[in-house]
Amino acid sequence: MKRSWWTACLSVLVISSLLLMSACGGGNGANSPGNNGGSDAADRESKDTAKSGEQVVIRHTMYDTEFTSELVAEFEKTHPNIKVEIVSADYNKLMAMMAAGNGPDIIRTNSVTELPGFVLKGMAMDLTENFQASKVFDIEDFLPVVNQFKYDIASGKHGEGAIYGFPKDWSPDYTIYYNKKLFEEAGVPFPSSTEAMTWQELVELANKLTVKNGKKTTQYGLAYYNSTIAANQDLLNLQLLQQGSSMFSTDFSQAELDKPGTKDLLNFWVDTAKSGIGPSPLQQETDWGGQLFVDNKAAIIIAGYWFSGFLKTNELTKDRLDDFGVAPAPVVEGGKRISPTGAGTGAIIYKNTKHPKEAWEVFEWFFGAEPAVERAKAGYGLPGTKTLTEMLPQESAFDKMNYDFIQNELQYTDGSLPYNPYLNYQAVNSIIDKYFTPVYFDKDTVDGAVQKMTEELNTLITEGKQLVSP
Amino acid sequence: MNRQVVHGTDAAFHSKRSRFRGRSFKEAIEFYLFISPWFIVFIVLGLIPLLYGLYLSFTNYAGFNMDRLVFVGLDNYRKVFTDNDAMYSLGRTLFFTVIMVPSTIILGFLLAVLLNQNIKRIGIYRTLFFIPSIIPVVAVGTMWRSLFVDDGIVNKMLEALGLEAVDWLGYDYAIYPLIIMLLWGVGGGILIYLAGLKGVSKDLYEAAAIDGATTIQRFVKITIPLVTPVLFFQFIMSIISSLQIFVQPILLAANSNSLLSTPLRPNYVYSVHAFQQIFAYGRFGYGLALLWVLFVMILILTIVVFTTSRFWVFYEVDQEGK
Repeated sequence: MKRSWWTACLSVLVISSLLLMSACGGGNGANSPGNNGGSDAADRESKDTAKSGEQVVIRHTMYDTEFTSELVAEFEKTHPNIKVEIVSADYNKLMAMMAAGNGPDIIRTNSVTELPGFVLKGMAMDLTENFQASKVFDIEDFLPVVNQFKYDIASGKHGEGAIYGFPKDWSPDYTIYYNKKLFEEAGVPFPSSTEAMTWQELVELANKLTVKNGKKTTQYGLAYYNSTIAANQDLLNLQLLQQGSSMFSTDFSQAELDKPGTKDLLNFWVDTAKSGIGPSPLQQETDWGGQLFVDNKAAIIIAGYWFSGFLKTNELTKDRLDDFGVAPAPVVEGGKRISPTGAGTGAIIYKNTKHPKEAWEVFEWFFGAEPAVERAKAGYGLPGTKTLTEMLPQESAFDKMNYDFIQNELQYTDGSLPYNPYLNYQAVNSIIDKYFTPVYFDKDTVDGAVQKMTEELNTLITEGKQLVSP
Repeated sequence: MNRQVVHGTDAAFHSKRSRFRGRSFKEAIEFYLFISPWFIVFIVLGLIPLLYGLYLSFTNYAGFNMDRLVFVGLDNYRKVFTDNDAMYSLGRTLFFTVIMVPSTIILGFLLAVLLNQNIKRIGIYRTLFFIPSIIPVVAVGTMWRSLFVDDGIVNKMLEALGLEAVDWLGYDYAIYPLIIMLLWGVGGGILIYLAGLKGVSKDLYEAAAIDGATTIQRFVKITIPLVTPVLFFQFIMSIISSLQIFVQPILLAANSNSLLSTPLRPNYVYSVHAFQQIFAYGRFGYGLALLWVLFVMILILTIVVFTTSRFWVFYEVDQEGK
């Protein structure tokens, strides 16, 4: 008897929940613009909706501080057929939207670490023809950084082949800013603004600028905006690029951390972390490198042109900009001088967008027209074209210093940091943190950590390759 | 409308069993209809996602390949037991569980006994000890981290006492800040303990005192047996929460700036491993398998504790007749 009761009650519940679900489902089907469950014919039909003069919604994942409501209003005024909507999505939400076939039309993309993966995952639309036909963009005018949005699927080469996007703004992120006052206090001459130091020279310089009180460091010689002064994939990739090498085999199918050159670099970072010239797992800091720098607790910081904008607006530095100088990205001893971007953030257009024409209109306007000019004039980052570079601020002595510096540094910016397209950026960070941190505490050796990291990286590469193979 | 549903469903049974027409049946139906809003929400937002997660743990889901999922059978579960790091992190989790469960129960209970005294302004103390459990965990972690950094208050105090500063967040000492931070929230259980202690009849103490029982004897023979149901509940809850320790080690990690920061090896617990596998590595299928294994482990441990409870948990009301 009890069982029958249960059956009866459960039937009611199941039916009600099914009703509830189908109600939700119905709503989705009718309203959601991006439901991609339909056939190609349905897609084509929806792609054609734009021609009837209806307003089309273009969704993007740029930040609201970048594609501001003012810019949206300005765009919509001249493009009454398009409504621009922001969708805030971190990596996982974006992937979930992709999985549901409901991707945003314009996707904010870090060209250095994300673009190859996005292309391989079938997310990015080939924009080569759009750029060639564009009246706003002039391919001849592009800076080498735009190559970061190129990927050749056949050869697996980043920086070549079809073009999938464009940078919003960028910086050669491994240049160095320094605090002149702290140099003077230490009686150390300023570094050259045109000649690059070697990494070894940078560490030696930082050593002279490090102030210790007993065991404790009260002033660091060196900080890095994105992490600590220890082995991390960004700095390693930069050094390996300068060496003409990589953490991986040329086709990215194997981790090759045990190459002598790579091991030397790992040892270099162990020694550097132990020397105490900067924050590291051995000297943990609650503040990021930029904060240490503006607090006069770090004499040098590895950071890009964007950092000049940060100094100009930071309460602690905006009134003493003459205290700061800028110098080129360090280079590996005997290596090639390359000062690439570490991010090159811009956007791609979703391959399965239902409104490719309108998405391109928004894209072209945001990345090539007035907003691009305004961004260049503001000077929070470098533009993607030579013409726009001329518009960078040069009024104040500080702006002029940065402008002159960057004109020289631009000669060395061509080069792609060798991130593996089959691996998540974050996964490599985690693997290095997990297995390499014990080395600083003498709980593991470089060889031991290399072996563990190689094994785990290879497992992930194999899985990653299988996932993107057709 | 509800009535119609009731009658409609009821009618189907009429021909077979007339006794369903009884009052109890209607009451039961009404009961289930009343709880159905919760039940429907549970099914839609709880059960279905859980089962969907179970399904995904048998696939190669990586966050973006929903349209070409491959069923991989028990592969992900096999990986759980062959992945050195999963086993290592499980070991660390069990280590913290073994430390945390007895310490939280003993400390929490003793604290509650102290706070059960009839002294002036006891409410202030009760509030003070309870406060840590209402502070958001991220704030707690950030606070403890700033106390334990190289030039934090803890080291400054040690130095003031003429002792050497300690690298609390370094490899050798990393577990201590974590344990201290976890124990700091021990007052969270006092509400339940106090409720249990208040439930012990004063008559029993008076009778025992007349018979010449000492304070300790009264505590051991009366207080403890009578609050065993509360201790039992807390025991189960602290096992579950200890096995699920997640965000605290991350907040104490070197270079802790996001949930994906990696704690040092001694604090690398199972939930952190699962979270990293899903959100840093993009191995959703495998990460879900890790979490289902954790769920089964918690279930087994809970069942074991439940089975042993008949030997040590004392209920004043007969449990058989429920």
